[in-house]
Amino acid sequence: MANFNLRKAEPKDVPDILRLIKELAKYEEMEDQVILTEKDLLEDGFGDHPFYHCVVADVPAEQQRSLTGYSVIGFAMYYFTYDPWIGKLLYLEDFYVMKEYRGFGIGSEILKTLSDTAVTNRCSSMHFIVAESNKASIDFYKRRGASDLSLQEGWRLFRIDKENLLKMSAEE
Amino acid sequence: MEFTIRAATLEDCKDISRMILELAEYEKVSDQVKIAQRDLEQDGFSKNPFFHGIIAEVPEHLKSKEGHSKVGYSLYFYTYSSWKGRAVYMEDLYVMPEFRGKGIGKALMSKVSQLGLAAGCTQLNFTVLDWNKSSLDFYLKQGCWDVTSDLGYHCMRCEGDALEHLAQGGL
Repeated sequence: MANFNLRKAEPKDVPDILRLIKELAKYEEMEDQVILTEKDLLEDGFGDHPFYHCVVADVPAEQQRSLTGYSVIGFAMYYFTYDPWIGKLLYLEDFYVMKEYRGFGIGSEILKTLSDTAVTNRCSSMHFIVAESNKASIDFYKRRGASDLSLQEGWRLFRIDKENLLKMSAEE
Repeated sequence: MEFTIRAATLEDCKDISRMILELAEYEKVSDQVKIAQRDLEQDGFSKNPFFHGIIAEVPEHLKSKEGHSKVGYSLYFYTYSSWKGRAVYMEDLYVMPEFRGKGIGKALMSKVSQLGLAAGCTQLNFTVLDWNKSSLDFYLKQGCWDVTSDLGYHCMRCEGDALEHLAQGGL
């Protein structure tokens, strides 16, 4: 059983956060989509008006050497959003534990911490997206009472990328 | 049609609240609206706002049948993509039925795009209901793409008892 510690991310964690972001993207087969840099993460997460918050899971020195060589082995990135019908929400952007450290309850503990943060901040709900092909994660979330809004209510996520954003913003 | 697009102020919350209910009615779920004018004032216009708003307004002589000059709105906030960085999320976009087809919706969305780009965002995200054909068509025409269809991402939610249970460490 791994001894681990959950704590708020600090600027020094940025290289590990980026490493784990890339590992999660690789797991989702989207590794080439990550263009974020350490500089972006530092500026956007630890400035005056952070765009995101992060919690990290780390393990003591003795354990890290024997398994992966890293002490930061899991993380979650989140921010607060708003639903004009029900108010504040917590949005879970990324949530990941390194393969070698799964099955020890670290993921559950991270989710518990986030849910606690949501409740403390008077958020009525926690939202996130999951790829429909990611059966293991969907089951993990459904076991904890999550519902699939795309299936149940027909919500589809849409996106406009920068090129079309520029076109749209230039229209009078 | 003559109209102006501007940032929402505290005084606009009454009309925003009115139009939120109108939009919920259009989406057939008005009984789900728990937020009142007071909540909007607190959550959107305090030191650390949870959202920002823009309003579409028409001059006096073009007011609606009931006398409203604030005829459309958009609510948005900043989010973060762990792949691409800063992003803007458009939570609501609404134009009163009698003022549609005049470019107001497009102008509101254009304003959100401008503000998002100015803040360093590289994408604009939002959700649409799959039966809302006219909205789906409008968005696809603006160059949007359906992330749920194309990449298979589903929107998930954990709320109420499930959220409380999770916070207590339950499984």
